[in-house]
Amino acid sequence: MSAAIGSYATIGKDAPRRPAPHGAGRLAQLKARYFATPGTSLLTIVLGLMTVWAVVSFVRWGIIDAVWYDPTAEACRTASGACWAVITEKYRVILLGTYPYDEQWRSALIIAIWVVWAVLTAFRLFPLRLRLAGWLAVFAVTLVLMRGGVFGLSYIGTDAWGGLPLTFLVFGGTIAFGIPLAILLALGRRSVFPVVRFVSIATIEGVRGIPLLVVLFFGTLILPLFLPPQLDVDKLVRAEIGMVIFFAAYAAEVIRGGLQAVADGQDEAAKALGMGYWLRMRKIVLPQAIAIAIPALFNDIIRAFKNTTYFAILGLFDVLGATKVALDDPAWVRYGLEGYLFVFLLYFLICSGLSLYGRSLEQDHARRTRRAEQ
Amino acid sequence: MTGNEDAPANLVVSLDRLNKWYGDHHVLRDVSLGLAHGERIVLCGPSGSGKSTLLRCVNGLERFQEGTLTVCGTTMDGKPASLTEIRRRTGMVFQHFNLFPHLSVLDNLTIGPVYARGEPEAAAIARARELLERVRLSDQAAKFPGQLSGGQRQRVAIARSLMLTPDVMLFDEPTSALDPEMIQEVLDVMEELARDGQSMIVVTHEMGFARRVADLVVFMDQGEIIEAAPPEDFFANPATDRARDFLGKISTSV
Repeated sequence: MSAAIGSYATIGKDAPRRPAPHGAGRLAQLKARYFATPGTSLLTIVLGLMTVWAVVSFVRWGIIDAVWYDPTAEACRTASGACWAVITEKYRVILLGTYPYDEQWRSALIIAIWVVWAVLTAFRLFPLRLRLAGWLAVFAVTLVLMRGGVFGLSYIGTDAWGGLPLTFLVFGGTIAFGIPLAILLALGRRSVFPVVRFVSIATIEGVRGIPLLVVLFFGTLILPLFLPPQLDVDKLVRAEIGMVIFFAAYAAEVIRGGLQAVADGQDEAAKALGMGYWLRMRKIVLPQAIAIAIPALFNDIIRAFKNTTYFAILGLFDVLGATKVALDDPAWVRYGLEGYLFVFLLYFLICSGLSLYGRSLEQDHARRTRRAEQ
Repeated sequence: MTGNEDAPANLVVSLDRLNKWYGDHHVLRDVSLGLAHGERIVLCGPSGSGKSTLLRCVNGLERFQEGTLTVCGTTMDGKPASLTEIRRRTGMVFQHFNLFPHLSVLDNLTIGPVYARGEPEAAAIARARELLERVRLSDQAAKFPGQLSGGQRQRVAIARSLMLTPDVMLFDEPTSALDPEMIQEVLDVMEELARDGQSMIVVTHEMGFARRVADLVVFMDQGEIIEAAPPEDFFANPATDRARDFLGKISTSV
């Protein structure tokens, strides 16, 4: 043994091996998690009992004592449970609004087309171009079916449009026009041209400083007072323009965040390859920026879906507005809770679907960046 | 505008009294140099000496306030047409590779020619495969940049700039971000290019490479060219204290 140094290192000679299996069984894990201390045990028991009580009372109210079918609302009056009969009686008004009864097959067809194409889009069964082209076709078919006046379909004005088709159309239009506008605003805010930059900043900051309701009231009620009467734009279109601009102002900031996260070197490398501004944006910068912005962008997209309910206040009958009308019926007015629970479930399903779709896009991107960061 | 009319016709790049400021900071001071066709200049100097800035001026990634820049007969006049023309004559390789992470290796190579020049895709793909072969990465065409090692990424980046058959290649510290064991594979590719007669301006601290490949070594400090000499003279007896000091520092650090 040399006395020179005290530090040492052992030369490795073992072959690679697996880690030792985890010791604790499932029961021990549960115990450690929920009954670790007297305080934890107490909390577990109290919260457990409350949960059981809530589930039992909801099941009794919502299922066991509920009335499912009752065209006259007589049985509902004596029952102690939920009156789901209000849904079976009013679902057509809730889902299709005040659209003429004999033409409601058109609305129903629109809902079917949207749901089918949304599912096909979400599962990415077709290439992107085909999916987008499909959405264009969906929009065209929706407008033709709703409005009519061609192909032997009777004409129906926008004041009679309503229910889920109107909600879909307003939401779809907001996204379809809003995202391109948001991209332009985000790029404009970073522009080297002072005028472009100023207009973009003024639009974004101006709109973000105003509540959506004010934007919609301005578009539908105040704007017409200042416009010449020849320029008679439909109320639905005016409200939709408000929705698009409102969405775009928020989404623009989200996309700008994504743009800032893309390294400058990406743009420089594309410049060095001789690519012009729009080409660089389209092929190099935006694909990366939007991928980064997806979580926050879906936040805004889901909010845009819920914001369609503001149309009810403008006297347009989206799902929520139509539900309100349905529940005005004196025979059923007492069962608002059941009606709104149904609408809640509908919104919850659609928003969850959007949320899941957003997460799957995020995971796609994560897979690619994980590869990129190895 | 002086200098360029008298300049020999075989210059690919000529800079005449270039001056650049960042605010009040004078980052390039009266820089003049010419690169002859088929020759190599290595730019070296301490960090902050302006060598990268100078290189980035050559293809218009940086603007300068005074002086004349001419690339293959096109003089930079600040208008888009001259910028476009100069960029099609130059290729650039960056310190941090700057590959496009969302595109495969093959797409990284073809996107420039196909979209910026409107070249047919089939022709671009064929040339991309040739160039990948040349940088010894033909089996990596379908991968994404993130799946490659640093040395492989930089070789892809070199192939990407070669796709546009540039008259001059600009290398901005191409090995500085690499792990030591990957530096040589990149230098090998660059030396091969040099042997094939590619005109190049290289900013690097690899003095062995400069010795083997450079026709002229240009030493810069504080935005000025301090010394310019063939490598054998520059390394054997640097004329200035600053160059001697610099060479002393980088050789002790290896």
